[in-house]
Amino acid sequence: MLNCNLLEPDEKIVRKLRSVEYPPVAHPGAKVSVVDDPVSINFPLPTRAGNWSWTRLVSLGFTALAGLFLLAMIGVFLWESLPVWRQFGFDYILGTKWFFRQHEFGILPMIYGTVMVSALAILLAVPLGVGAAVFTAEILPSRWRGLVKVAVELLAGVPSVVYGLLGILFLRDWIYRLLTPFDPLSGDTLLTAGILLAVMVLPTIITLSDDAIRGVPVLQRHAARGLGLTRFETVTGLIFPQAWRGIFASILLALGRAMGETVAVFLVIGRRDNVLPENWYSLRPLLEAGQTLTSKLGGSETFIARADPLHWAAIVGLGLVLMGLVVGITWGGAWLMGREEGPDAPVA
Amino acid sequence: MNPGRQAIVSLAACLIGLAVLSPCARLEGQVLKVNGSTTVNLPAAEAAEILRSEKGMQIQIDTLGGSSGGISMLGDGRVEVGMTSKPVSDGDRAHYPQVDFHPVSIGEDAVALIVSRDVWDGGVHSLTAEQMRGIYEGRITNWNEVGGPALRIAFFNKEPGRGTWEVFAHWLYGNSKEAPQVSFAEVGGNEETRNKVASTRGALSQLSSSWVDGNRVYALAIQSFDGELIEPLPENIVSGKYPMSRPLFVVTNGPARGPAAVFIEFLLSPRGQELVRKHGYLSLAQLQSS
Repeated sequence: MLNCNLLEPDEKIVRKLRSVEYPPVAHPGAKVSVVDDPVSINFPLPTRAGNWSWTRLVSLGFTALAGLFLLAMIGVFLWESLPVWRQFGFDYILGTKWFFRQHEFGILPMIYGTVMVSALAILLAVPLGVGAAVFTAEILPSRWRGLVKVAVELLAGVPSVVYGLLGILFLRDWIYRLLTPFDPLSGDTLLTAGILLAVMVLPTIITLSDDAIRGVPVLQRHAARGLGLTRFETVTGLIFPQAWRGIFASILLALGRAMGETVAVFLVIGRRDNVLPENWYSLRPLLEAGQTLTSKLGGSETFIARADPLHWAAIVGLGLVLMGLVVGITWGGAWLMGREEGPDAPVA
Repeated sequence: MNPGRQAIVSLAACLIGLAVLSPCARLEGQVLKVNGSTTVNLPAAEAAEILRSEKGMQIQIDTLGGSSGGISMLGDGRVEVGMTSKPVSDGDRAHYPQVDFHPVSIGEDAVALIVSRDVWDGGVHSLTAEQMRGIYEGRITNWNEVGGPALRIAFFNKEPGRGTWEVFAHWLYGNSKEAPQVSFAEVGGNEETRNKVASTRGALSQLSSSWVDGNRVYALAIQSFDGELIEPLPENIVSGKYPMSRPLFVVTNGPARGPAAVFIEFLLSPRGQELVRKHGYLSLAQLQSS
């Protein structure tokens, strides 16, 4: 609301601007000597030669460099992990045993760990995060909102190792005591990692969802109030249908962060290989130590692996699979968002 | 462009060039990079601190990846000195044929089997090699099978590649390559190991004996075939009676030169050896006296 005042022209300035007389300007690059439009003469339109200006060349160069870098990265990862694909093919992904000294490299338990931990994090963080965003955007007075937003954004910038240490200090022991009836072996469990990740991605979801919700025009809220809608009806019937893309994008970003997070997970997950549930509905592994793609990559095996080409290939393969998972989810999300709008489409 | 402006521009370019190049040139020449075992790091980091303050040397010391990290980073030429608590193996030499590994022993350390307080208070004060093998292979999963309380054994395995683990596996299986592959929760550095064992019921792990505090974690004695209990005490380590001990090395590529030589000489000097003893390890003098 404050911004509206800035957009209204100040009477005095307008009068002053009107009183200024623009003298005819002769620009060195201009063909015309007398003009009545001083603006366009100072910013001559790009000529054909201007198409290949330095700005263009440099920005094109950097864009190409970024693209090449990405391609090169995928290329290097593929090349370095080639031996393991050659030897195991898809059994590398579907194999359930990782015993590097026996040259058994199956990464399904680690994919399971990554998926479970990040799914848990999203499951916990989305209701909380979106709820908090509705509160900050719709209910909190704007002078408090700025303060809360700064705090939340600061939280988003806290280094992950700090979260990891907090996890060791408080979360591990708390989970361990809480789960005593289930007799967990220690406080290092997939559940601990999931909760820690939920805390870590929460600020991302809150601040981006808040932006998305604030993006819905104020006038529509007034109209909703005029129609006699309650606040709850306004949020579910007006805000969500229009802001869901932004909220969804924030969740995708959070999911990407959860899957790629290494240090914090490494510190509280227990790094136990080959943990898979007996059946896919069982949640028991959540209460046990496990391993994710990232915690494996962060461990000391990465250093040992350098001495053995196949082991090294298997380790690099983990990175490739992780990259594939994150890219897949991002593309999947983009596709979902770009799909033709259904009946839920915003009422514009 | 007028000449004055040109001069300013070229001056600026020179300054930027200097700013970019000069620190690099200085860093190349003087910063000594050290990496490896957290066990060796204890006295080494303190030695580095002394050399920094007394001789103004620039030393960057790190413990990425433990002993294996020390050897591989030395092999890749990313550090000048590697710290390792296991001997440089033939496999390492074969993998880095262009590197002339030059290990220098600075002392010796013992690996202890540590348990949490409840296990110690429950009456478990020693294990035999056979019992430990049973636990490692998953045949023994409860403390009451080895004379303790009815409590699940929460075994934290030291990460493969750590010197501590190598010594442990060597004790049980003769050669770390013969050790069966198992899937236990893993722990990395010594601090992490101690904390996790201290805060978990029925916990057991391997830890460098100098890190045992006898307050939150307790070191078990090893019971030999004839029933003798051997504790990880200096006299037993020196005499070779305690089966799990290991040498501590600093390694260079070829004989040490420049800052690396100063660093290693200091570690071997009486003051350096005093640091080794201070952290609970056996100094070279103690080893030779026996």
